[in-house]
Amino acid sequence: MLRIMEEKTGLDAAALAGRILLQNGAEIFRVEETIERIAKSYGMEGNSSFVLSSGIFITEEKDDKHFYANVKHIPLSAAHLDKVAAVNQLSREIEEGKYTATEAIAELEKIQQMPEKPKWAQILASGIGSACFGYLFGGTYMDSIAAFIVGSLLWMFLCVMSKRKKRTTKIMLNLGGGMFLTSCAILIYQLGIGDRLSHIVIGSIIPLVPGVAFTNGIRDLANEDYISGIVRLVDALLIAFCIALGVGIVFTIYHRLTGGGMI
Amino acid sequence: MMEQFLAAMIGTIAFSLLFSVPSRYYPWCGIVGGIGWLCYLISGSYVGNIVGCFFATCVVVLLCRFFATRMRCPVTIFLISGIFPLVPGAGIYWTAYYTIMEQYSLASAKGFETIKYAVAIVLGIIFIFEIPQGFFKRMEHKEIGQ
Repeated sequence: MLRIMEEKTGLDAAALAGRILLQNGAEIFRVEETIERIAKSYGMEGNSSFVLSSGIFITEEKDDKHFYANVKHIPLSAAHLDKVAAVNQLSREIEEGKYTATEAIAELEKIQQMPEKPKWAQILASGIGSACFGYLFGGTYMDSIAAFIVGSLLWMFLCVMSKRKKRTTKIMLNLGGGMFLTSCAILIYQLGIGDRLSHIVIGSIIPLVPGVAFTNGIRDLANEDYISGIVRLVDALLIAFCIALGVGIVFTIYHRLTGGGMI
Repeated sequence: MMEQFLAAMIGTIAFSLLFSVPSRYYPWCGIVGGIGWLCYLISGSYVGNIVGCFFATCVVVLLCRFFATRMRCPVTIFLISGIFPLVPGAGIYWTAYYTIMEQYSLASAKGFETIKYAVAIVLGIIFIFEIPQGFFKRMEHKEIGQ
């Protein structure tokens, strides 16, 4: 009986590791590999896992007697690559036999609790990133300064929106983000900071661009995880479309109000 | 050129912070982003922007895989932020912009160009991930052996 309990804990550890990986921006292939690696090092050879971009299904059978199944729904969320790196490291150490199953679960829970970077650092990074990319895509120094302001404001907006009691949907977040950043850019441009409105907007769009979904989608497709690949690419396309729409709505209104020519 | 390199590098590091990359990897992420952008600029001036983007993606993914093997961490850590300068964010903007201005031929031209960039990145990623892991391990051993 004790052994069965231990095996169950081992599989729970594998499932939890898979869940953390999937939630924080790892590819499907890595999730499956890690689950198998952890399960094997706790002596479970008969396990099979099926991983989608939004869920994990694990079963284990042994001696035709004991069965174990674990199904977890995993909602989409933002990428936290430090957690992916930490789980990866932990799974290697588990393979070397450094942790018992219970200890492994405790470690995994610690990884799950890893703090985010402080908000001010995120806001600053968003601004600096916007400024740099605005410059790369042909903006002047003044455009970069404007993009810095708009990029920082955009991240504050995203923080506020994601703190709402009712969960903000991804579509609304990106549509609203696009509208917000364009309004800010127009305001700042009218105040006389920045040379060309287009380049300010291009720079400050970048924090919204779905780089994680796009890159992971391609890699899943390349690994023949078609379902997850398609889901992630659709996610990326939808986000890109929402950003464009958000920018478009505000520009259209601005265009009508000023009679064109100002952009 | 130096300014462009620095801007790409700092920009990439800023985005790796947003994706919560552990801070010890920041310099490497920055190098990947900076070199990728330089490759895009240099090869783009010879063979055109889209093919240049393909080559730059290849270099970025190669560097990412090399660093990942060397530091024993998932390649995603370097790849997601390192590829950011190449992702056609500006293309999305111009497509939307021309559509609003009712310049549809320009809009579709920009839209197709954006798709071409995306395909170039896709091909670059797929090609380089076909190289077996052993190649990168051997490269690492060679370096240690010297």
